Amino acid sequence: MSAPEPPRKSGEDFLVRAALSLYPPAWRARYGAEVRALLDDSGGGARAAASLAWHAVPALAWPPRHLHDGSGRMRSSLATTGIAWTLLAGLGAVFVQLTQAQGSSQGAALAQHPVIQWSYWAFDGCLALSVLAVALGGVWLWLQMLRTARRRREVAWLLSPVVVPAVFLVAAWAIARLARRVGPLVVPWQSRPVADLANGGVGPGWFLALVILGFAAAALSAAGPALALRGLRPEGPAVVLAARAAVLAAVTMGLACVASVVAAVGLYLWAPAYAGYHESWQLAVYLPAVLLVSAVAVVSAGRGIRTAKPPAAT
Amino acid sequence: MRRDGLDRWADPPLLVLASLADEPRHGYAITQDIADTMGVRLSAGTLYAVISRLESRGLIEPLESDDRRRPYRLTAEGARELAEQSERMQQVASVAQRRLRANYGWAGA
Repeated sequence: MSAPEPPRKSGEDFLVRAALSLYPPAWRARYGAEVRALLDDSGGGARAAASLAWHAVPALAWPPRHLHDGSGRMRSSLATTGIAWTLLAGLGAVFVQLTQAQGSSQGAALAQHPVIQWSYWAFDGCLALSVLAVALGGVWLWLQMLRTARRRREVAWLLSPVVVPAVFLVAAWAIARLARRVGPLVVPWQSRPVADLANGGVGPGWFLALVILGFAAAALSAAGPALALRGLRPEGPAVVLAARAAVLAAVTMGLACVASVVAAVGLYLWAPAYAGYHESWQLAVYLPAVLLVSAVAVVSAGRGIRTAKPPAAT
Repeated sequence: MRRDGLDRWADPPLLVLASLADEPRHGYAITQDIADTMGVRLSAGTLYAVISRLESRGLIEPLESDDRRRPYRLTAEGARELAEQSERMQQVASVAQRRLRANYGWAGA
């Protein structure tokens, strides 16, 4: 049916393989060989690779339902949403630490700007709602997995969201106490301190150490349930409820972080004397990080809930 | 020529359904048939995005194949969908041609 074409060059082959690697594994397993056969017949080339790469985006965001088992996809979406949500919570915690209860009294007065105030309220409200959604929507699934966990390793995974933050808080408390005794360290790229030792804060070096430790703890806390979801493979209404709660949690956490971005930009513009976010590089790191992780959380949660719906009639 | 969204008749899913209405075909044969008979060239990315969507909706189905070139055929549901869409396009085409003839002296292709 088809005339054989000359074999593709290794560069083109690399591009095609790179483009195919962007697709979800289930999609690749189902259509990968066929696509390569088509490109062998038609000649392929950089343009075909670019087209493949472009179409990988909808395949990732809305993977065809017939390629996945619904529960499996819901579980993987839940795991991804959980990790992204935890990272957002970490970014939110950094925002709180950098913008509250620190800074000069003049800066604090300037921070009364209505945009900043509204952003704070939006941040607090959305954060509370998000945490509530995680707690209420996830506890049933968490208990169900805890009941079915047989091995000690699985129990450890499930306990990590409780144990790891507790260990981190104790460590942070101990580090803060130690830091106050040692005094502030100088971070080479930070000319001004971000914390006020007189008000009980830690110096920039210790703060950076705590942030890194905090994100490591957050990653460990989220990785535990993600591994448990993969190992225990729970099914049923508890997973569906968790997937629905994940949508609410991701959206509200995303909104909280957007509010934090608005507040951070507001502080930068209207209250530069206020502690935190008076360095433009901090915004340059914080803003893209928040937007990227928010997008991952919301898209993953959306994918999970889409699986919970029955397929549309054709 | 840029058509600015006026070429919806050339929606890739419809083209693929129309191609498979003739006989079962694999990916390359579908692109060749569409290029030869309808004058539209589909890229590999577009074709397989469409195939996965149509398969997911049960409008086409894969046939057994020993090699990597797996053929697809239209399902009864796919044939019904294609018939509905063709009917609509036919109606639009007849109205457009009748009015063009009456008002612009168009004699047809």
